[in-house]
Amino acid sequence: MKKLASLAVLLCAASAWSEPVVIDGGAFQSPLVLDDEVVSLPVASFKLDAVQVSNRDFQKFVEKNPQWQRGNVPGIFSDHNYLRHWQSPLQAGEDINDLPVTRVSWYAARAYCESQGGRLPSKDEWEYVSQQIRQLDGISDKEYARHVFSWYSNPNSENLKAVGSGTASANGIHDLHGLVSEWVEDFQLLMTNGDDADLLTSSCGDTARFMANYDTASYATFFRYQSRSNYQPHTTTSTLGFRCAWSL
Amino acid sequence: MKTQSRRLCKLAMVSLLLGSMVIPVANAQKLKHEGEFIVDGMVFGLPKAKVFTEDYSGPPVVGEYLSALPHLQKLDYKGNKEHHVRMDVISQKVEIAPGVSYTAWTFGGSVPGPTLHVREGDRVVFTMKNRSDEAVVVTDPVKGGSPYFEQLQANPYQKNVPAITPMPHSMDFHSGTVAADDKWRSIAPGETIEFEWVANYPGVYMYHCGTASVLMHSAMGQYGAVVVSPKKGFSTDKKVDHEFVVVQSEFYLEKIGTEYVYDHTAAMARDASHVAFNGHVSALSKTPLRANAGDRVRLYVLNVGPSGTSSFHVIGAIFDRVWYEASPENEWRGMQTVLLGASNAAVIEFIVPEEGLYKLVDHEFADAERGAAGALIAGPRVKR
Repeated sequence: MKKLASLAVLLCAASAWSEPVVIDGGAFQSPLVLDDEVVSLPVASFKLDAVQVSNRDFQKFVEKNPQWQRGNVPGIFSDHNYLRHWQSPLQAGEDINDLPVTRVSWYAARAYCESQGGRLPSKDEWEYVSQQIRQLDGISDKEYARHVFSWYSNPNSENLKAVGSGTASANGIHDLHGLVSEWVEDFQLLMTNGDDADLLTSSCGDTARFMANYDTASYATFFRYQSRSNYQPHTTTSTLGFRCAWSL
Repeated sequence: MKTQSRRLCKLAMVSLLLGSMVIPVANAQKLKHEGEFIVDGMVFGLPKAKVFTEDYSGPPVVGEYLSALPHLQKLDYKGNKEHHVRMDVISQKVEIAPGVSYTAWTFGGSVPGPTLHVREGDRVVFTMKNRSDEAVVVTDPVKGGSPYFEQLQANPYQKNVPAITPMPHSMDFHSGTVAADDKWRSIAPGETIEFEWVANYPGVYMYHCGTASVLMHSAMGQYGAVVVSPKKGFSTDKKVDHEFVVVQSEFYLEKIGTEYVYDHTAAMARDASHVAFNGHVSALSKTPLRANAGDRVRLYVLNVGPSGTSSFHVIGAIFDRVWYEASPENEWRGMQTVLLGASNAAVIEFIVPEEGLYKLVDHEFADAERGAAGALIAGPRVKR
């Protein structure tokens, strides 16, 4: 009986996440100054997954798309750690089914979202949601910064929790911060070592030019942009997952 | 037949070149790759770094002249040498004060990382794999690893435990003269970078991760020392009885729940929670440096910061000789303290006056109180 009840709770919880959340658009002041002339960017309304894509979800995807199974993915689309933690190319494993899928490349994340008729959120959309959560939930700058920095300091990827295990924010989004880092569509468009990036590439300090406000919370946000910028699209790690978005 | 004539042709060309160019043979030997050139006897224009993936899970530190603090490996060769050095990026939980452990980002598993010793004019072929997404053990015996491991295992005061914190990282050797956007570039977890540098200038140099936030990456523990001994040595080389390497650094930690984590507000305010010699506030008191009355002690002192200065002082001693930035050209005498900004270094010598205890401190006492203190214990005079 108890088992049935907990199953029902699980199912209810699962159905609550099955529909992506509508995020109302609005003006977005980027925490990063990439263009001195642009203070506010419009963000159009869009839909975003309430939780990250889980191993279970991704397993269904690779079942239907063998080209994205471990061992089949060409080296240019993923490094050799791709889904390394799965039991087999077709099975994540009972104990990790509900955890956010990690060790997926940007290419794989994109392909998954496309298969769902969606796409990866843009970095501005993602950060817009992040700001919304901080405002709606009344998270202080200090709390936010501590949360972000302590996650980066110790992401605890060996003891990952299931998707949606954190309380939903007022906008219905679960665990945007603190579970895994997430791929966004244009993750690498700034501050890389590529030749189209900023001249000083923001390595070795020099962050003041990029930040709208020079406080610890902005710095925590900047750190997310920067760290992700240094990944390659084929990079996979035990802390990197994703969720999908849909244009309205 | 054809090959032979080609060979002859080559020989003729080479002798022609050698005959027409006024490059002394010694200099020509220094050049290894096309594009390298010599200015004032020093080698510049090194080849581009290579970034690749490799199936490497061997020892994270490889090289004969790499040691754990406060040791310095002796240079047991004459002239110049090409060193093949590996220092992988790994994460480790380390203790830096009694009961205070945090998940450090490290080169090779300790904070500070291994000390590399080379000679002015040596070439270093450096390899680094970003293994921040892998649990790497450094406290078990390692086959094919550097002497650094045995020293670390003999004295594991940081109580190193493997950790996983995937993050892009880079290596910036202050001892190398290269284009930083190429050699010091960031690599993602799972990637390996390989590049070369030539130790053109003698000195005690820091190395560190230069990936943004450079403040956070440094404060997390990604730094260490390279000692480039001058080609002709220091004037007192034959008189020195003991050599030790001392690296000062500060930590910015706050306790959240049961964990100590990086405190960015404190790091920006330069309000360190701990300042340490050799990575632990007790490193040089639990295992003090040892000498005897009348001995000449040489310290290679490096302050890596990331932001603090150090007024390095030995209570009861006067520095007989100081070579600032470890260049034999920069000799000072009779110094009481040596002021070292973040990334400054000095070779400091003093004569141990008598049997007793000599405290090493950062004479900016707020930092000594936060842990920048150590000890040298001097035994009785041994007549030589």
